[in-house]
Amino acid sequence: MKIAFLILTLILSTNLFADNYFCKKELESLPIQQNGRVKPLYVHASEMIKMLTGKSHVNDMSAVEAYCLLSINGLGMKTDITLSARIDHVDLMKFLGLAKDQHTMAFEELITRFDSLKNEARTIKDNQSYRTAISNLMNAINTYQEIKVGENWMLAEKTGSANEVSWIPLTAYLTEAKVVAQKSLTPDDPFLPVILQSKDHYVSLKGDKYIVELYYAKAQLANWSLLITIIALASLVLFQNFNIALGFTLLSLIAQIVLVSLRVIISGRAPITNMYETVLVSGLGSLLLALLLGHFKKEKIFIYMGLGYNLCTLMMITFANGMLTATISPLVPVLRDNFWLSTHVTTIMLSYGALALSWVMANGALFKRKFRTLDRQEELRLGEVLYTTLKYGTTMLAAGIILGGVWADYSWGRFWGWDPKETWSLIVLCIYMAILHGRYTNWIKTDRFIAITAGAFMSVMMAWFGVNYILATGLHSYGFSEGGAVFLGSFFLLQTTFLVITRTKKSL
Amino acid sequence: MKNKINWNEIERTIGGLKFAVVVIVLFTICMIVGTFFESYFGTDFANRTIYKAPFFMLLQFGMFLSIIFAAFLRLPPKKRLYGFYTIHSGLVIIGIGSLITYVAGIDGHLTLPPNEMARKVVLSKDIFKITYPNEGKQVSTFLPYSFTETQMGQTYNNITIKRFIPFAEAKLTWIDSTFYKPSKNDPVQSSQYHYKNSFAEQDITLSLHPEANGDFPSTSSMGPLTFIYLPAKLAECFKRIGASKVIFLNSKTAECFTPEDRNIAAKLTATKKRFFPVSYNGSILTFFPDLSPLPMNQNAQASLNSELKTMSLASFEQKPTLFLFGKKASFYSKSEQKWQHEEFASINNSINLPWMGAEIKLIAHETNKLPFNMPAPTIPIQKNGSLIKGDLRAVELNISGKTFWVTNFNGLSLNIEGHNILLEVTKETLNLPFEVALTKFKMDKDPGTNMPASYESFVNLFQGSGSTNHHIFMNNPLKVQGYTLYQSSYQQNDNGSYNSTLTVNVDQGRPLKYLGSLMLVLGSIWHFNLNKKKKGISA
Repeated sequence: MKIAFLILTLILSTNLFADNYFCKKELESLPIQQNGRVKPLYVHASEMIKMLTGKSHVNDMSAVEAYCLLSINGLGMKTDITLSARIDHVDLMKFLGLAKDQHTMAFEELITRFDSLKNEARTIKDNQSYRTAISNLMNAINTYQEIKVGENWMLAEKTGSANEVSWIPLTAYLTEAKVVAQKSLTPDDPFLPVILQSKDHYVSLKGDKYIVELYYAKAQLANWSLLITIIALASLVLFQNFNIALGFTLLSLIAQIVLVSLRVIISGRAPITNMYETVLVSGLGSLLLALLLGHFKKEKIFIYMGLGYNLCTLMMITFANGMLTATISPLVPVLRDNFWLSTHVTTIMLSYGALALSWVMANGALFKRKFRTLDRQEELRLGEVLYTTLKYGTTMLAAGIILGGVWADYSWGRFWGWDPKETWSLIVLCIYMAILHGRYTNWIKTDRFIAITAGAFMSVMMAWFGVNYILATGLHSYGFSEGGAVFLGSFFLLQTTFLVITRTKKSL
Repeated sequence: MKNKINWNEIERTIGGLKFAVVVIVLFTICMIVGTFFESYFGTDFANRTIYKAPFFMLLQFGMFLSIIFAAFLRLPPKKRLYGFYTIHSGLVIIGIGSLITYVAGIDGHLTLPPNEMARKVVLSKDIFKITYPNEGKQVSTFLPYSFTETQMGQTYNNITIKRFIPFAEAKLTWIDSTFYKPSKNDPVQSSQYHYKNSFAEQDITLSLHPEANGDFPSTSSMGPLTFIYLPAKLAECFKRIGASKVIFLNSKTAECFTPEDRNIAAKLTATKKRFFPVSYNGSILTFFPDLSPLPMNQNAQASLNSELKTMSLASFEQKPTLFLFGKKASFYSKSEQKWQHEEFASINNSINLPWMGAEIKLIAHETNKLPFNMPAPTIPIQKNGSLIKGDLRAVELNISGKTFWVTNFNGLSLNIEGHNILLEVTKETLNLPFEVALTKFKMDKDPGTNMPASYESFVNLFQGSGSTNHHIFMNNPLKVQGYTLYQSSYQQNDNGSYNSTLTVNVDQGRPLKYLGSLMLVLGSIWHFNLNKKKKGISA
């Protein structure tokens, strides 16, 4: 408490009082170690504030300011910042006594109800989603308290003679000696320089590579890519200008390549270790594949397909935050092999990307057949394009499954183990193989072939998302996230409905 | 001519597209069901019902035939189909490789405790094992790879295996004792209670029956609370507890008395320790209730075989302790500063306890029968990656007209006609031709967290020629004498050290599987590239 008293007197003697104390923008690039990684404070504070409140800002305060102001409560400085948790689960709202349109509750109040929440969680028998909602809220309350006592904010300090960095919480870092020494140099604000010293310590020992993540987080490349892809699609569909569309497509492709590359630089591994990254890579991969196929086959329709699917993936990345988290986390031990990770998962993702192209295309053709006009000639041409796409998709899928088998054999001593993810990838392969065989021998005619291809993509979605969100067992379920089951259910429902609606051709 | 088999017709059918599609579709449906089974009922159940079931093997064989015949039908070779031949041969080769692995391969686990020689690999098949420790003899038999209970009727000497239940659930039943014949006043009672407070609730079954196994102890604890189960007769002495807070009990007859009952006054030693001289069967026993439940002789040594014992209740006043006597209960209430005595009026009646709104309900009480967890067939249920129901594998035995159960959790040790025997339900094991000792286990964690980032075993390998040091970690296995040892898992011991688990594997089909895979991928590329030149398929 001595330091608290000292800080209080120091603050009163400076002009910091009015201006958010020392919680300034300069803190954004400060390194912090949390959840097994070193990252800029900007990234950590944004993740924390997002996790606690569901928003990226607190009123007009940035996440860093809010995080800092909350943390310095631990130093004994009373700040009047209040954070409210976002509560959406109906049963949880009822339990907390919230009105129907009231979706927030202050953390200070939630703290007093922690025990009753714990008790409630224990008595829930079957309602899994309610239990998850409570346990998430309890985690948020714990994190809030951890931040508020200054224990969450870890700062780097040199340890003794060994050139090692040790990480200590804010309350232990900000010692009286340091602040008093600094006071003689910068009497106006002795705190910020002391805290920023931590960055110098870290950079002098470990380098400043971690700063890349700050630029990455600030650049918002996913949003830019989404915007550019929309413009490209619009110039293609609305303005019918192919060259401009191609230009924007290439621009979006470059933006996404930079985005993926930055993630590789930050994490030091292949960018395919959680759902967010697989969606990103499949979208990027399919766009690239579409451009290549379009170029070599001299078929513009591939650009439509590529942009259409790319739009879907970018929308998911931008808006489906509950399901896909952009957070970069350390990897579980089994996956720590960059060679196999990049070859196996990338091949699978590219194949999913190619199959997704066929899905966009098939649905587009069904739509056109039902609501516009699709003559026989064009139907056959689309059938050919679909067949080409499926060939690439299935070849890559087979290769990807085999690479996975070889990896499993190499690291666990078994080629195949009926793990749900590998079984589902084989199911997808079998389904597409049956379709290709039927198509090759003319057993499945073009009109049916289009509808079947559109429906078959549901198996890809099941293998890709369903195994993690619905089955959620087995070796591959590392990327488990919430809310995916609803997304997947809606997808299946929409796709099936669409197939039923377009079952009959347009009556002429 | 009628009966002549038309081989060409059969070849055309099996090699035909319709057969292929039907088999692929059936295979796919089975796999879909399998993944859901695995998710709900666990890996073992999915393996036994689908992935390793005979019908699924048959389907795979059907695919195999379809692939071969489809290729045969398209002979003699045509240049256009070279890719197609390569793909189909690749698949056939993968199939043969897998069959070899299935028949001759070994896949098991080797657990390495720190600094101990290990060579026993645990494989996956269930076995029933009979050990005669005195004769140094061991016999075992494979248990069926089924998913429902199987009647067996296999006999060895006087032991008959009646049935095997691969997925069982223990159901509490009350049974008569097998060997022990209780006399009329024998305190062999057992009771089942349900304890509940605002944080937790639990069923507790306590027993004094000598045949009751470890699932049903006479003392049990739950958090800070201890349950002590005592013969019914003792309840009266607890009621009469006097200022000394001491009780004497006869462990044979379950009779009891307090010092006050017999006007035995406490005396003090020179070091101010209190003691009670009690006359019993014509001799005087000296008890120090605060030190030991047993009487002390002159040399201050406890007589271990004394029937008469003592108990000082003063020590149970600090820590929450509930004494249960079947239908009665005694406990010390700190708020009222006195011992309280309650009675369950009937089955399903509750008693309120003075610890944070706790209460206890009597569910069942038996004076002669004993509780037994009877295995009953069930469908297993998996939650968060482990079985929450049905993880019991049980074998029902008939030995000299009596019924016994052996499970993977509880073996059985018997003395039959002068022979000690040990009965177990366990896994098949294999002794390696070499020995491995774990010299060091290294685990790195993600910085600032408790999440393992990697785990590695440093081992000493002992073969005929001497010993060598090796380092096994994820993606870096050890190959020795045809066996491959992979780092797969670890467990922490009570003393904080780690056991390392290695996967031990022999796979003779490996080269074929790799060759087939390569042919499959190259064949696909070849096929589709050639196909590209053949312009347009007419609809």
